[in-house]
Amino acid sequence: MAGTGAFGYAPAIALFPLVAFVVALTFGKYMPKRGAIAGILATAGSLLLSLWLLVTVAGGEVYHETLYEWAAGDVLTEAGSNGIEFTFGLLIDPLSALMLVIVSLVAFLVHVFSLGYMNAEGETGLPRYYAGLGLFTFSMLAFVYADNLLMAFMFFELVGLCSYLLIGFWFRTRSAPSAAKKAFLVTRFGDYFFLLGVVAIASTFGTVAFAGENSFVVAAETAIENGQTLFGFDARTWVTITALLVLGGVMGKSAQFPLHTWLPDAMEGPTTVSALIHAATMVAAGVYLVARMFGYYALSPTALTVIAFVGGFTALFAATMGVVKDDIKQVLAYSTISQYGYMMLGLGVGGYVAGVFHLMNHAFFKALLFLGAGAVIVIMHHEQDMWKMGGLKDKAPITYYTFLAGALALAGIIPFSGFWSKDEVLYDALIVGLEQPVILVAYAMALIAVFFTGFYTFRMVFLTFHGEPRSETAEDPHPVGWSIKAPLIVLGILAVVAGLVNLAPLAKVLGVDITFLEHWLDGEFGSVEGLTYHAYHETVAFEEGAIGSETVTMLLGAGLSLGLALAGALTAHTLYNVPEPVPHKERLGGVRRTLEANYYQDEYQVWIAERVTLPVARMADRFDQSVIDGLVNSVSTASLFGGSRLKRVQTGLVTNYAALLVAGFIGLLLLLGTLGGWFL
Amino acid sequence: MAVEVQYYVLLSMALFSIGLFGILTRRNALLFLMSVELMLNAANINLIAFAFYHGNLTGQVFALFTMALAAAEVAIGLGILLVLYRNFRDVDVTVPTTMRW
Amino acid sequence: MMIEALIAVALLGALVTFVAPNRIAGKLAFAISLIPTALALWLFSAFDGSGNALLGGELAFSSNVEWIQFGDYTISWFVGLDGISLPLVVMTTILVTLAIVSSWTPIDERESQFYGLLLFIEANLIGVFAALDFFVWFIFWEAVLIPMYLLIGIWGGPRRKYAAIKFFVYTNVASLVMFGAFIALVLGLGDGVTSFALPEIADAMVNGGGVQTALFGVDPGTLTAIVFVAMFLGFAVKVPVVPFHTWLPDAHVEAPTPASVLLAGVLLKMGTYALLRFNFTMFPEQVEAYAVPIAAIAVISVIYGALLALAQTDLKRIVAYSSVSSMGYVILGLIAYTEFGVSGATFQMVSHGLISGLMFMAVGVIYNVTHTRMVTDMSGLADRMPVAAGVLVAGAFGYMGLPLMSGFYGEFTIFFGAFGSELLAYSQVFTALAMFGIVIVAGYLLFALQRTVFGPYHLETDYEIGRAALHDIAPMFVLLGLIILLGVAPELIFEMMKDAVTPILETGGGL
Repeated sequence: MAGTGAFGYAPAIALFPLVAFVVALTFGKYMPKRGAIAGILATAGSLLLSLWLLVTVAGGEVYHETLYEWAAGDVLTEAGSNGIEFTFGLLIDPLSALMLVIVSLVAFLVHVFSLGYMNAEGETGLPRYYAGLGLFTFSMLAFVYADNLLMAFMFFELVGLCSYLLIGFWFRTRSAPSAAKKAFLVTRFGDYFFLLGVVAIASTFGTVAFAGENSFVVAAETAIENGQTLFGFDARTWVTITALLVLGGVMGKSAQFPLHTWLPDAMEGPTTVSALIHAATMVAAGVYLVARMFGYYALSPTALTVIAFVGGFTALFAATMGVVKDDIKQVLAYSTISQYGYMMLGLGVGGYVAGVFHLMNHAFFKALLFLGAGAVIVIMHHEQDMWKMGGLKDKAPITYYTFLAGALALAGIIPFSGFWSKDEVLYDALIVGLEQPVILVAYAMALIAVFFTGFYTFRMVFLTFHGEPRSETAEDPHPVGWSIKAPLIVLGILAVVAGLVNLAPLAKVLGVDITFLEHWLDGEFGSVEGLTYHAYHETVAFEEGAIGSETVTMLLGAGLSLGLALAGALTAHTLYNVPEPVPHKERLGGVRRTLEANYYQDEYQVWIAERVTLPVARMADRFDQSVIDGLVNSVSTASLFGGSRLKRVQTGLVTNYAALLVAGFIGLLLLLGTLGGWFL
Repeated sequence: MAVEVQYYVLLSMALFSIGLFGILTRRNALLFLMSVELMLNAANINLIAFAFYHGNLTGQVFALFTMALAAAEVAIGLGILLVLYRNFRDVDVTVPTTMRW
Repeated sequence: MMIEALIAVALLGALVTFVAPNRIAGKLAFAISLIPTALALWLFSAFDGSGNALLGGELAFSSNVEWIQFGDYTISWFVGLDGISLPLVVMTTILVTLAIVSSWTPIDERESQFYGLLLFIEANLIGVFAALDFFVWFIFWEAVLIPMYLLIGIWGGPRRKYAAIKFFVYTNVASLVMFGAFIALVLGLGDGVTSFALPEIADAMVNGGGVQTALFGVDPGTLTAIVFVAMFLGFAVKVPVVPFHTWLPDAHVEAPTPASVLLAGVLLKMGTYALLRFNFTMFPEQVEAYAVPIAAIAVISVIYGALLALAQTDLKRIVAYSSVSSMGYVILGLIAYTEFGVSGATFQMVSHGLISGLMFMAVGVIYNVTHTRMVTDMSGLADRMPVAAGVLVAGAFGYMGLPLMSGFYGEFTIFFGAFGSELLAYSQVFTALAMFGIVIVAGYLLFALQRTVFGPYHLETDYEIGRAALHDIAPMFVLLGLIILLGVAPELIFEMMKDAVTPILETGGGL
């Protein structure tokens, strides 16, 4: 397929923001709005092109093209092929086209929102901010339609850089640079495994392409079928190992336990950045990567189980921490971690559609919630503590209602978008879990997390918007402009209606064909060979069970999760929807301290860094200075000492020299004579 | 009837030993120079004796070279001696010890 | 005759600069240094060689003139370039030009001598990379030490004498070991070899069956092994690998910025270049036999060097130790003995030259305005010098191997080449261990950035912070541009490197 029509312009989707980055960086200082206009135009362009692509893909066309060869060479790979090419190329299929729209839409809205959040607040360093956003959007979009694992890795790293730069935007504080460093380091730790995985896959199969006949997925299937031995393991084990290595990067970026600790700290960045990077898009990169190479994970039940279990555990783990946070952004941060846990769970049980569906919905409602929180922060004159808010409902109605829509979606209340996707994730987990005890445990954890989600979400809503104002600023809020309201409204609508694209439960009950997303991802509109839901589903080796009939199972699961979500919301209502709410934290007893300390996760990671690595480094330094360099210096000391003794021969008396000369001569004579046998 | 070559060697050896003895025992720089001169001449005797013994002129030519060398050496040596005396008011070789460690 | 012209221009330039008045020496040296740079770039565009210079490849710009007859051996003026040496020559000329510009601010005494020495070192460095006769090569190799010794010893910091002598003696002793070993090798090769031309010796080693004659009662096999180890040790000091690295931080800390740039940028590459040219080209069997210990040394260099960097508080020491770490990657790539590994190592030489040069320049600019290099003495520099801070951040990320910068390409190809190495046992384990360096490097660089560049502005010196001049900043942007260019389009030089590396691997029997 040649780059005709919409596909011919596909590279521009990523390149527009790159241009915006360069423009903002070099000329931002002299531009009105300090580079915002460039960013808005660029992301608007990307959005339009992405929509065009979406329509084109819906028309049954897909695009898979190598654009640029980065490196190539001879290598004898483990699977027996020869030579390898590392290229940059585009893969535009239903999945990536969808993700392109999501990313460019959120990026566009965040740019617009920034006008109100950053420009109107008189921030300095705005060109830097918009340059960072532009570079991020570029990297993220390029990551999304990367057609091979290495290119994906490269842009995966670049979004990490942008995240670092933007978290550290307020670099004059102490906390922001520290949080930025932590974010990059923790994700880098994950990326170490990812890179190792890329290298391993490349040198095993001689290809890193996601799709097509020459993809590593196909190569892995062949290797498994042929029963090959790869690097001393049988093929399936080796696929599991490499898949888990790549998963390291996923867990870092998507903030899954135990590499989640950076995300709450990342809230040091501007709230817009949190919305774009640390909620809707970059954090999604990990999950997206799993979806992108799902065919590979589908080959390894072990890897899938690990994904599902980590996802389920993270969902619960993070949700419990969100319960006790007082900072509105912290609550959202933990809910983000938790929600990505759901997506991982969905993907891990083979629910490809469910995972992607939740990814999409979450992008919308979490961006909405973060932007809503941003609006609240503007309203509150940069106060983030929820205990100083209250009663904002009447003073900022648009913010309130959009925020509420997002909250309902997050909590999973019918009929908001979050309900449909979360329910589908849980349903997929349940049917697999009925046959697989480990998955059932993951399912159970995710189910319990639903309760906590409902609770912390509405605790946040009630504390922020309901009750009486609890501070002066809450009584006299700062007005917000259209640039803040417009994105909220757009996202608010999406949070309500996005669920419509895949009403799987209704489809089952009513027998109507309204699971559009499933068809979309199943390639019914056109797709790249092998990258369809059905193809994946066939590969995944999980058995599926049911309680009674399929419909009963589905209704049971949906009812259970909805009930738990409502129970959580109701608990929050009783406790916090009162004029003068109190924290109620003492009721938690001993658990409280653990929760507030985030299960001491930060502590042990800081401990590893400061109490283990640093002392080891210092010890190495001391060893280096004393032993190794000591050895070097002792050589010089020894020769200096030897010289100082030997120079005593130099008495300064000519007579002595002459005597030495003669003695030496006689000694030489005797020596030569002895050796020459003169004296015999 | 020529004298046997070993007598020349003996003479030369005696002369050389006297010179060496002078260098090892004297402290006066002037005597040093004289001793060196003795040793050089001992070598000269050897050269000439063996030239005579072998019947060619190479040794004699070398002896001429040595004499020229000795003259040059004495010139420089006396120069050093004068400077020594000017600096130390003495020609005792044990007095100037600035050249030691 | 182009190589001769390159060397001659640099040498004459050195002489002219030496006698020029101090006032104009800097500008003059810069103007002169542009000629070799332009020439080298022209060579790069007109490069028509192929294959490996030592293994019967098509040499570019070569000349071979008989010079000295020495017993049965002929010493010739024999120079030429192939895909390995040409990129290094180009990098050298560019780095010298930029180093000259970056010295305009910090060097304020004996300028004409300083710039003269810089040009003199350039001539010798080009000679090292271009020479194909052992004697010619060795002369340049040793001659590099003298100007560097003087640069450190005269314009250096407080402990400059110690550092300069340590640098000189350490590397000189190593050269001696290497020299002795090489002469033993030539003698051991016997009558088959009648000159010191490296291609001839390589041919005798690889195709002629290697050492045939016993020497000093040592049988040929043992002799070859001893020579291999001795030469490896000799070059290892130059690279440097752990545990022969301790001269490096001292030399870097005391050296003036431009000397550091050249020291890290080019002088370290002499070691790895020589390893590739001698050990890894001429001794394929020994490479295989000693693969595991060498890989172990490489991994130790990577991890240990990175840990040492983590413990430092002097910015220059941090960059110095991280050079040890980065050069460990190069050794790993070489010992992998695969096309990607060895070519990647060669690429990494160029890439690390540019990136470490950039880092030292950035640290130098910071030192110029703050008069301190201690991490603990400053914070929040981005507030006062945003451009320099930005460049430092960019350089640091380049060092961490950020994709689309050259460092990533070098490291990735090395890791990829090493992972599937046929020659090296446990290559996956070694690769995984060495790769962990990318986490530690991020750790210490980000930690240093956090404390120096970011945070509230604070400076613990008596000096008022000044402004960095344009000519301090401009060279860094040139380097940054090159780093990104090579990161995006590595094939520019990777293609020719691969072409020159493949013959080595074919003789070794691997791919």
